[in-house]
Amino acid sequence: MTGRRILSREGWIGLSLALAYMVFAAIFWAYPFFWLAKLSVTQWRFFDEPVFTGTRNLVRTLKDPAFLQALWNVLRFLVMYVPIAFCGALLVAFGLRHVGRGKAFVGLCFLLSNVSSGVALSLVFTKIFSSTGPLNDLLFDLLGIRIPWTSHPTFAMLAIALVVAWKFAGYYGLILYSGLLTIPGEIYDAARLDQAGPFTRLVRITLPLMNAQLMMVLVFAILVSFGLFTEPFLITGGGPADSTVTPQMMIYETAFRRLQPSHAAMMSIIVSVTSYALIAVARRLLERKVTLA
Amino acid sequence: MTDRREVLRRGLRLAAGVALLAGCSPDRAGKRTDRIRLWVAPNEAEEGFWKIAVARWNALGRGLPVEFTTIPTAGSSEDTVLSALVAGTEPDLSTNIFSGFAVQLAALGQVEDLAAMPGYTELIARRDMAEITPGWTQDGKVCALPIYSSPTLIWWRADLLEASGLSEPPRTYDEVYGFCERYGQARSRFGMQVVSGRSWADRWFDFISFYYAASGGQPYLRDAHALYDNEAGLEAASFMDRMFRKGWTALDFDAEEPLVSGLAAGGVRGPWDVERFAKIYPETLERIQVGPMVARGPTGPGPVATFSDSKGVVIFKTSRVRREAFDFLAWVLGEEELNLLWLRRTGLSPARGDLLQNPRFAEYYRTNAIGRVYAEHVASARPPALSEYTIDIQKIMTTRLVEPLMTGQLKPAEALAQAAARTDQMLKVQM
Repeated sequence: MTGRRILSREGWIGLSLALAYMVFAAIFWAYPFFWLAKLSVTQWRFFDEPVFTGTRNLVRTLKDPAFLQALWNVLRFLVMYVPIAFCGALLVAFGLRHVGRGKAFVGLCFLLSNVSSGVALSLVFTKIFSSTGPLNDLLFDLLGIRIPWTSHPTFAMLAIALVVAWKFAGYYGLILYSGLLTIPGEIYDAARLDQAGPFTRLVRITLPLMNAQLMMVLVFAILVSFGLFTEPFLITGGGPADSTVTPQMMIYETAFRRLQPSHAAMMSIIVSVTSYALIAVARRLLERKVTLA
Repeated sequence: MTDRREVLRRGLRLAAGVALLAGCSPDRAGKRTDRIRLWVAPNEAEEGFWKIAVARWNALGRGLPVEFTTIPTAGSSEDTVLSALVAGTEPDLSTNIFSGFAVQLAALGQVEDLAAMPGYTELIARRDMAEITPGWTQDGKVCALPIYSSPTLIWWRADLLEASGLSEPPRTYDEVYGFCERYGQARSRFGMQVVSGRSWADRWFDFISFYYAASGGQPYLRDAHALYDNEAGLEAASFMDRMFRKGWTALDFDAEEPLVSGLAAGGVRGPWDVERFAKIYPETLERIQVGPMVARGPTGPGPVATFSDSKGVVIFKTSRVRREAFDFLAWVLGEEELNLLWLRRTGLSPARGDLLQNPRFAEYYRTNAIGRVYAEHVASARPPALSEYTIDIQKIMTTRLVEPLMTGQLKPAEALAQAAARTDQMLKVQM
């Protein structure tokens, strides 16, 4: 035992290489994580010592109608966002399949909206959706109507869903495109021989065989919904009647505007648990194991 | 065994490294006593003023030298100041603090009571701030001193008023209604922008401004009680309601600056907009005439009351040179020459009550018509209610009062009652 080395030379090299990440993770992940957990069960206002309060923050948060409204708003957002984003992404994916030369360039162009500044695009869309903006002017000229995009609870959420879908449709489309590429052409040939039309091929072959990619996009969409901040913050300010307030906006305002970081810490834990639970439910209900025999 | 020792040694080295990182925590004991550190608002005009003022102070050698930087912020000053306080890197003095944030900092025991500083009374007298400081005083304590006072007033396109037969800006609701009837065109041209935006802070520039004008500057909140469900509140709310019901204003004007195209002929603006318009819309600025906040009728002698968007300066409790910092503050705020320099550099009226009587400032206002109208309202402009729950109070005002008036969901009296009751309920829980 005394003569045995604890780690081989390769082991030391491996440990040294991993050390940088471990230190990084310890400082920027583990420390904030434990601090968050501690904060959530204490009362702390930035300058005093945290005082243990047990479940007080939990009860307070679960009884807070504004926070529950924010969680409900996430679900409302998902109901609008998921179909719009999926339709957009499928269009991108199918479109890419028909692009001949310059496919990489076209793919990168779709990613541009994803890497654009959320602040900049929110400001642009704020102008577009204004009651006196170009979109309403066009609708008024064509149909004689103006839509209260940012001052009606449902339209306001729809406006945000459209903006976020526009931002992510290209990214999701590339993920779905990678799934499309894995489907062998022979399956479609066989389906055509069986007289299957385009719609049947889509719902019986394409979508089921892309289950893995669709699930991935759905998980991303759920994560985006729970992390939503910039667009509602800038486009609607959370209004009207708090109908577009998101949990991230609540957390930010509670921690840095109301100066109640402990309360905000508990909110963030509840948001994490809720998003995890929703993803687990979605996977349980929709995920299928796809094998090509 | 040797290897185990080596592992132990490495472990100790790692622990030492972590301890070193942990040492980056607040080090308040290490605060300097040989100079005063000052943070100023991150904009070119104010930075230019402080550069000169600080250089003069340092050249005079009257106290500790001052070192200033702009607030190192990418977002809001409040976030940066708060982060600095938590990290222990805050300066001795910071400008650009709005009164609600100052009250929050005071509640957390982070700022000094300036009224208790030697020389405070002399400063108030020298700067003629007797009419201004009550709005910044809570329980006899002053946690921030206003540097400037920016009243909100209504900008009107003089050419559009004239075309509709008005030689001066409307002063009463009836005059506004009359003008809107002549100028407005269904859903495409509006008499006036009534609501400033969706954020809680926008309530300062619509309902609160209208309420102050209607009530003669009476407070809308005292202790834990909302006061605006009264005659003046009803007048202000009814005015807003009628403007929306008649289609004389739009739900928002986000697409463009409405005064430029004439989409709206009037809107509430502050003196900070003068510089913006001078840079971006100089031709429109030439056609602007500034009028008072409108009310049902005259509410008393002198200028109509309105809201004052002021920013103040605080001294942090953690400073080890608090007295010296206040000496600098008293000098910079008390010197008329520096106040004039501030006015020339920033275009924002110093928070003092003698702007139009004091010959030192007369020359500036003689050649600056818009600045003069703002200066006339400095003494009658009221700051926001001093409350650490400003955001919640104004969020309720937004969702329970202004938004229902915009959409016509509630009648003005109902919306007022609902908003005031919800505010009282919220404050009761918080306090």
